[in-house]
Amino acid sequence: MSIVAKETIEVIAQSIGINNLSDDAALSLAPDVEYRMREIMQEAIKCMRHSRRTTLTTDDVDGALSLRNVEPVYGFASGGPLQFKRAVGHRDLFYIDDKDVDLKDVIEAPLPKAPLDTGVVCHWLAIEGVQPAIPENAPVEVIAAPSNGKTYEQKDELPVDIKLPVKHVLSRELQLYFDKITELTVRKSDSALFKEALVSLATDSGLHQLVPYFTYFIANEVSHGLNDYSLLFALMRVVWSLLQNPHIHIEPYLHQLMPSVVTCLVSKKLGNRIADNHWELRDFTAKLVASICKRFGHVYNTLQTRLTKTLLNALLDPKRALTQHYGAIQGLAALGPNVVRLLILPNLEPYLRLLEPELVLEKQKNGMKRYEAWRVYGALLHAAGQGIYDRLKIFPPLPSPPGHANWKSREKVVTAVPNKRKASMEPLEHEPALKKIVTDGPIGLVSTTSSPSPMQGETVAPLSSGDFDSEQPSSSEKMPNDERSGNGIGKDGQTLKMSAILNQIWEDDLNSGRTLVTLLELFGESILSFIPAPEMSLFL
Amino acid sequence: MENMQAVNSFVAAYLKKKGFKEAEQLLEDLQNKESAPIDFHNDPELAKFIHHFSQSEDDVARYQYGYSKLRSWTYGSLDLYKHELLRVLYPVFIHSFMDLVAKGHLQEARTFFNAFREDHELMHSRDLQKLEGVLSQSHLEEMEFARSLRQSKVNIKICQYSYDLLLQYLHKTQSTAMLGVINEHINFQVSSGQPTSISDDAEVVTLIGSCQDAANQINQKEIHWGLLEDSLEERLEKAGGLLSDSEKTEGENKEGDVDETKKRSVEGGKQGASTKKLKKDKAINATAKSARPEANTTSTAPRVKPELTLPIMPTEVEQSILEDLRNRVHLSSVALPSVSFYTFLNTHNGLNCSSISHDGSLVAGGFSDSSLKVWDMAKLGQQAGSSTLQGEIDSASSEHVVGPNGGKRSYTLFKGHSGPVYSATFSPLGDFILSSAADTTIRLWSTKLNANLVCYKGHNYPVWDVQFSPVGHYFASASHDRTARIWSMDRIQPLRIMAGHLSDVDCVQWHANCNYVATGSSDKTVRLWDVQSGECVRIFIGHRSMILSLAMSPDGRYMASGDEDGTIMMWDLSSGRCITPLMGHTSCVWTLTFSCEGSLLASGSADCTVKLWDVTTSTKVPRNEEKSGNPNRLRSLKTLPTKSTPVYSLQFSRRNLLFGAGVLSKNM
Repeated sequence: MSIVAKETIEVIAQSIGINNLSDDAALSLAPDVEYRMREIMQEAIKCMRHSRRTTLTTDDVDGALSLRNVEPVYGFASGGPLQFKRAVGHRDLFYIDDKDVDLKDVIEAPLPKAPLDTGVVCHWLAIEGVQPAIPENAPVEVIAAPSNGKTYEQKDELPVDIKLPVKHVLSRELQLYFDKITELTVRKSDSALFKEALVSLATDSGLHQLVPYFTYFIANEVSHGLNDYSLLFALMRVVWSLLQNPHIHIEPYLHQLMPSVVTCLVSKKLGNRIADNHWELRDFTAKLVASICKRFGHVYNTLQTRLTKTLLNALLDPKRALTQHYGAIQGLAALGPNVVRLLILPNLEPYLRLLEPELVLEKQKNGMKRYEAWRVYGALLHAAGQGIYDRLKIFPPLPSPPGHANWKSREKVVTAVPNKRKASMEPLEHEPALKKIVTDGPIGLVSTTSSPSPMQGETVAPLSSGDFDSEQPSSSEKMPNDERSGNGIGKDGQTLKMSAILNQIWEDDLNSGRTLVTLLELFGESILSFIPAPEMSLFL
Repeated sequence: MENMQAVNSFVAAYLKKKGFKEAEQLLEDLQNKESAPIDFHNDPELAKFIHHFSQSEDDVARYQYGYSKLRSWTYGSLDLYKHELLRVLYPVFIHSFMDLVAKGHLQEARTFFNAFREDHELMHSRDLQKLEGVLSQSHLEEMEFARSLRQSKVNIKICQYSYDLLLQYLHKTQSTAMLGVINEHINFQVSSGQPTSISDDAEVVTLIGSCQDAANQINQKEIHWGLLEDSLEERLEKAGGLLSDSEKTEGENKEGDVDETKKRSVEGGKQGASTKKLKKDKAINATAKSARPEANTTSTAPRVKPELTLPIMPTEVEQSILEDLRNRVHLSSVALPSVSFYTFLNTHNGLNCSSISHDGSLVAGGFSDSSLKVWDMAKLGQQAGSSTLQGEIDSASSEHVVGPNGGKRSYTLFKGHSGPVYSATFSPLGDFILSSAADTTIRLWSTKLNANLVCYKGHNYPVWDVQFSPVGHYFASASHDRTARIWSMDRIQPLRIMAGHLSDVDCVQWHANCNYVATGSSDKTVRLWDVQSGECVRIFIGHRSMILSLAMSPDGRYMASGDEDGTIMMWDLSSGRCITPLMGHTSCVWTLTFSCEGSLLASGSADCTVKLWDVTTSTKVPRNEEKSGNPNRLRSLKTLPTKSTPVYSLQFSRRNLLFGAGVLSKNM
């Protein structure tokens, strides 16, 4: 019942020569021993407090004993920590290790160094309430020697306001929330709960305190988890949700977030499995980047320039992997048609020259690489198309027909010849060739549309209009179908769709001899899909 | 009447339980028949008899069961009344425990105690620690705390409805054990109307036996907290008034300018007010000899006559003090003091206390090896001492440094005590030092002669604290023997013995007018004593742990006390109430001091910080009106962390330079 066991009392009794202590006596002594011990401790704590200390020492216990007129316990004032040792063969018997010291050793031992004498040094803790940045004050490591310290302090009198790191107290709830969200992000990013979490992140107020933690978390996880596709995607979704949240003031943390986001866009490798659809992640991230630029571009005017510079560098460096190029193109494309026109289109031709060998089967045997090249190609097409569409929009009344007709006509002119020539070729070889032509089209187009004379386009238009009209009906039975799907998926899915369409073309080529016509239609189709229905209707 | 019913149901329950059907019937008949039942209260024998019988064998279970039922009922009660009912739980708990111990069910008492102690850990952990050790009837007798608890009743303020609820519950469940405890040890003060707010229950924190009533009674006594007549400050004001008018106005203008520029930077709107005030001041100055504007505090405080014969001050000393007062820096929440800090090095854990003289030139340290060492800062480091003395920085004089290894000690060693020195204090003029030690003596040392002059013997146990009065000559001591004593330098016997604390008196402090002395104790109370009569005139209850430091405001109206947990409380002396607790320190508050005009409070703690608190907002009424912020909150102005140096003592010089001292401890 008391913390002092009966056995302890018996042991103590034996140690002072009472061998036959009765059980009753031991039992009734035990609680009293405990009480006395508590009493001593209470007094010892008083002694400790009056010695202005917060750790109890053996001196305090001796002081307490003398307060109670009890003989102090000698031999423990040495200051060294006492070592309890377990008695061999007994599980719960301990003793204090008390070494035998040979008197000779003690006598012969050299005198210990005299302890340094107590001294007092003086410094300014504060000057008119401001702490000077001198070594004697808190933030610096070592106290200087007294004399040096003083001279130093006298000379260096510049009062510097030292701001202490503010201890930021996060409420228990927020901590739990943060832990839960991070756990979901890392472990169960495909669960329905994670979706809920994203909604919560995007809408809940009062999460602002957590933003630095999330920023740190995202940066940390991205840098460590480049091999984990689902984690990266989840992280980007979290960023997206945080950006959506109207209650969060995220600007101060953008500079920490951006590197992680851009990493997810242009990193060489995202995810380590082939099944990981890192294209999708890049597309998503591109959208994310674009939305960040759109929202904060006016606050940080260097944001977009720095971003585009980074992306352009990634794009124009031929040593970079194709995946990086893809990300860069997507990122630039997402930043808007102006960026595309100013940065991608001028570089399109040299870039395509680089890309071309990768697209062709003979030159690039690695299927994976070729696939990547096609993806890049698709992205380029998409970006170019977007840029052009924007251009077309400039002339609302007459915009599409002339531009489009212009394009069409040129397209036809350019494509017709090679296709006829290659009609008998192997389909596999066919495909790259076609692709090249398609891209040639936009290049040519750029030269005309981006030139400052829209008049030229208009003048061309009437000439080709007949051509255009004559072609249109022939493809009309196929058009609606593809068109609908193209528009339905939208920008994001466009590239995916594109490859599907291209595959389809290719099959069509195999099946029918209408290669030429179909190709033409499909090129038109692929670009047309960027043009919304009303304008499209002009053609149909 | 309620008690009557309680007793009746008590008896009925007992009879029923024991199966005395006939007796029960009889009792019922009796109750029904007699409109005026037997008066149990006037017949203690009978009550005792019944009480005795009710203590059956399954006593223990009834306590445990009854308490746990009461507890769950309380926790489940209405939110509005819950906190009031919760207050009842703690006294019921400790008394149930002590009852069990008293009846010899030691094992059961321990289980009971451990089962429910968690509930009260937060509020009463220290009391619980004490009670935990109570393991037999004799301990109950022996332990002061337990005995005082047993002998007294706890007062609990409770609203009518909560009271009814409680009674209903007790009657319905017929938990006689609980009813017994509550009747025996709790005195309900039923108030009509709404339950009191939670914050208003300072009294419930400290259960000090009979204190409650006595404290209330004591706190009714009149005290004259005003300052002494004809004090130096007053003389200074007079002197100021005697200055030629032109000089005066010039000075005023300068001050006004400073004021204006300051205020302009803060707020444009205040400017008008300040100039107006200035004009008004001038007008007053022109007509009569009046206070300088910054001497507001002293002039507002009432004057009292000294009850002690005060020592006569030499004229030259008076002149130097007057000079200091004239050059005093005016401190406020926007003008913080400079802090000069003395760090003790290589103390080997031996420094128990430190003290700084009023001009900061002398620093004393009391050591656990019985020595008292005094450093003369002026001699030690010429630059430090002189600069601090003048209150300005003199960088040229650094070549006079006497190296600490120059063969001579850098300090004066005072030997004489035969136990750890727990406290040291300088006389106001710095020519004497008093030290108190574990050897139960107080010694008077002369800093001029470097010798021990007197040894004062009177305490029977270690003397924890000694303090010179503000005028010198008299001093007060506090000891483990639970008394505080007043002495004068010329007598070896104490003049007064103040007894009343229930535990060690840990610290002592003089009131500014020397008519009162405040003592802080391990019983968690602070008491104010009349020096002349030796009577306790105030009891301040509210701290939750041992009081370690005390400070009196210079205007005599307020007192600050710091405890082991780091809480500082500001008390209004006249009402005996706590104005507000100042939270911020995380460890023992070793020292407290007010700035000379009472606008700032500085606190030094074991958490290695000096904190400056703004106390003007609440202490100066006229200022309140000027300031738009919430007036009753005292706030922390600044935290000055030291480098792993717990702050042992703080002292404002007469010119309002703050001196601090502490020991560099590497293990912090």
